[in-house]
Amino acid sequence: MGQVTLRGIRKSYATVDVIKGIDLAVQEGEFMVFVGPSGCGKSTLLRMIAGLETITAGDLLIDGIRANDQRPADRGAAMVFQSYALYPHMTVAENMGFALKMAGVARKQRDEQVGRAAEVLRLGELLGRYPKELSGGQRQRVAIGRAIVRKPKVFLFDEPLSNLDAALRVNMRIELSRLHKELGTTMIYVTHDQVEAMTLGDRIAVFNQGHVEQLGAPLELYNRPANVFVAGFIGAPRINLIERPPVSGAAIAHQALWTALTSQTSTDAARIGLRPEHLHLAPTGEGIAATIALAEHLGDVSILHLRVDGVSDLLHAKVGANLPRCEAGQSVRLLPDANWALPYDANGRLIE
Amino acid sequence: MSMKIQADRLAPWAAYLLVGVGALIMLAPFYFMFVFATHSRTEIFSLPPPLFFGDDFLTNLTILTERIPFWRNLGWSLYVALASTALTLLFCSLGGYAFALFEFRFKKLLFGLVMATLLLPSFMNMIPTFMIMDVLGWIDQPRALYIPGAASAFGIFLMRQFVAASIPRDLIEAARMDGCGEIGIYTRIVLPLLKPALGTLGLITFIASWNNFIGPLIVMRSPEMYTLPLALRSLQSPVNTEWGALMAGSAIATLPLIILFILSSRQLISGLTTGAVK
Ligand SMILES: Nc1ncnc2c1ncn2[C@@H]1O[C@H](COP(=O)(O)OP(=O)(O)O)[C@@H](O)[C@H]1O
Ligand SMILES: [Mg+2]
Repeated sequence: MGQVTLRGIRKSYATVDVIKGIDLAVQEGEFMVFVGPSGCGKSTLLRMIAGLETITAGDLLIDGIRANDQRPADRGAAMVFQSYALYPHMTVAENMGFALKMAGVARKQRDEQVGRAAEVLRLGELLGRYPKELSGGQRQRVAIGRAIVRKPKVFLFDEPLSNLDAALRVNMRIELSRLHKELGTTMIYVTHDQVEAMTLGDRIAVFNQGHVEQLGAPLELYNRPANVFVAGFIGAPRINLIERPPVSGAAIAHQALWTALTSQTSTDAARIGLRPEHLHLAPTGEGIAATIALAEHLGDVSILHLRVDGVSDLLHAKVGANLPRCEAGQSVRLLPDANWALPYDANGRLIE
Repeated sequence: MSMKIQADRLAPWAAYLLVGVGALIMLAPFYFMFVFATHSRTEIFSLPPPLFFGDDFLTNLTILTERIPFWRNLGWSLYVALASTALTLLFCSLGGYAFALFEFRFKKLLFGLVMATLLLPSFMNMIPTFMIMDVLGWIDQPRALYIPGAASAFGIFLMRQFVAASIPRDLIEAARMDGCGEIGIYTRIVLPLLKPALGTLGLITFIASWNNFIGPLIVMRSPEMYTLPLALRSLQSPVNTEWGALMAGSAIATLPLIILFILSSRQLISGLTTGAVK
């Protein structure tokens, strides 16, 4: 129950191709996250699974049955909208029981199921209220409750947390994780926020311009991004991408940095990726010379924006807080951890 | 300085006075309609005219019902007004909903055509309306009054604006996922949320039909089929008009509107507050 398989799924509006062929299998009980920059087609794909958009080409299978032409309500999917989409003229209980009512479930059984879902989400006292009498977080919980009541095979979430403030978002994230463990139902979750993706997903599909760039477990994506797009999209501050220095006339610091980075990996890379936490400060006398262009002190860590002679982009380093000599304008020495260096070829693909 | 203070203090009173006089001028004919409804023709034309209620109302009513089939006419007025209100609400809400939230071919063009009908001066319709009704054999039948206006462009426009402003697409899609068919979405989601707009449009339509004079003048021939405005008009003649009876009939004709207004103003306000949900 709750397997979703996409085979060569495409979507075109008139002349524009929005989804350009997606092959993907969401396992039973899995928490799958679709992440990507805004406009890359995540919502469109989710809405095709839900049945709110037609599928231009390809097959959608839910539990092995082709669902392309099934009505939304027959697919066994429940959706939580970004805007919550609660019916304003119905109470919380009526909102949650509406799908059951449409399915012809008797009143008594309906009340029972709504009551149980309300318990799971701690909505008990709110059942008699109207949506306008609820806070944003409560509306969100009701929207999730409405999805739970139907006992769907798969939950579909479209950026459900983006209308909440930061503190509430963290709470709801934890609650969603807990819910997934409790219910064990397949969930497909769309977001543009990579922190949500990393914390919630069993697996993450990184989208870019209508196709999947990489599919994998969160740490797999973080530690072994398959291409420079994924490398740059996952992780904050952004990964450092250092170009190969020119054969002749390279700056000394650039050449030294490259040599240090390639000591453990293939040397025919066009670019090397290195996460900011793997770029350390070295004692004086060792390492590569750099100047601090900007220092952001976050309290627990400091983010340094560094200029290295010959390297076109500023490098980012995540270093411990309260280190000496960490202000803008000061000179430091860098020590990259070459074990974590990621070699990319000229097309931006990871060299295995 | 003191002049200015005095002027400031006087300004509100001047405004009240002006509004008061305006209200009197507006209400006076209304008041005299009720007063004259209770006086005989000779009393009405005496000098000075009667300023307060008399006791000839029942006499006037008797004259009225002898001259014209008054209760029948009242019945037709009610029937036509109710039918045209019901049909207008149904078709305009359907049309407005479709134009606001559905995507279909030629949508812009069709909506433009609907709106363009608003530009036609109503007198241009008079002769074509008569000819069409004649061909259909609907002359002297109430449906000739409520069918042609059943989907008014104004109503469709009003509904479309209201749907676009207050019913997000997500809501419709949520209902679709919850298992509603298209009819279910319309009756269970769209209609309840449209309540305030339906109230407004219903009131406007009812009043327009109730006061409609030209429409029945074109399509109604026999006095038994007249609606009230036409029937009351038929009481008037260059000589020998029973003004008392005419005023009694007019007074009765205004009662349904007054009742409707009292009822609906309350309903409208509560409708507006329950509908205004974000
Ligand atoms: N009805 C439509 N007609 C044409 N283009 C559309 C339509 N809906 C979405 N798009 C386009 O499809 C792309 C993907 O949209 P969407 O799935 O909403 O992106 P995301 O959710 O990843 O931000 C966007 O470039 C958008 O402009
Ligand atoms: Mg989106």
